Amino acid sequence: MALPNKILPGFSATLYAQSGATPTPLTVANLSDETSVSAIAISDNQIPVEAIPAFGQDDASANFAVAGARQSDVIPTQSKPTSMTITAAWNPSSAALLQVRADAYNGTIDRTYVISATDGTNIVNYAFNGRVGEFHIDPAPTAETKCTFTIHARGNQYGWSNNT
Amino acid sequence: MASQNSPLVIAKAIQNQLSGIISPIKVYSNFNRNYATEQKFVTWHLRNVHQPVYTGIYQANKGIDRPTFQMSVFTTKMNDGLDIANTIIQSLHGYSGQFGGVDGFQISKADVTLLYHGYDDTTALHTVFMDCIIDIPT
Repeated sequence: MALPNKILPGFSATLYAQSGATPTPLTVANLSDETSVSAIAISDNQIPVEAIPAFGQDDASANFAVAGARQSDVIPTQSKPTSMTITAAWNPSSAALLQVRADAYNGTIDRTYVISATDGTNIVNYAFNGRVGEFHIDPAPTAETKCTFTIHARGNQYGWSNNT
Repeated sequence: MASQNSPLVIAKAIQNQLSGIISPIKVYSNFNRNYATEQKFVTWHLRNVHQPVYTGIYQANKGIDRPTFQMSVFTTKMNDGLDIANTIIQSLHGYSGQFGGVDGFQISKADVTLLYHGYDDTTALHTVFMDCIIDIPT
């Protein structure tokens, strides 16, 4: 087994969060280590979110233009891992959502999150360390109550891995 | 993590609730022409039982149930039909609480729409059709 070698539907992605009120996030090296990451990607750690937004790395660049030169240049600069604003159906007793709420209240807790996508056999994981920066409850009466939160990934603290 | 309500439980609750609202007028699930000999009766059927499903490999990651049931009021006199429809609306529209008696379940809201009123030549009955959407916390 290796990386999934198929085009994956959006439904194939699951979000997990490291458990515990004051967790020790994975080291940068372990964020790319399948054994370390898969220990977090278990059913008890699932965050029941509606959909997983775009994740990965943002863009950042600097433009250079030199008088007299024919062409200018764009150089990548310090870009950050993408922040994720996520919506979940709100169950006030959900242990995962209570944990996210507590992280938002605290503001400085680093926690390892894992996004796993699978074709049914093979799994690819994107693991990152992040802090929760926003926690909203939206009780619009036309559907279930929505819980929205934003995870800001820490710079240089993410990694990719797959099952073997 | 939302569990899926059994359609049977929802159906029994609808039958019980409607029977309670308009008693002693008969309430039937679905329409059967044999019943058309009665002066007044109400039928209902259930549709759109659906919880939105969300991402990931776990089946329980779902939203809430918002099923709709349609009520059809049949009467030989138009006045009676609209009167029964009004009784249902006054009782159900905006209702929040236990739905379907002791064997039912809690609903957050019932939302009733009177769709249209008509007349059926073949059965010689006036009709009033209504929809009711119920929000069930799960």
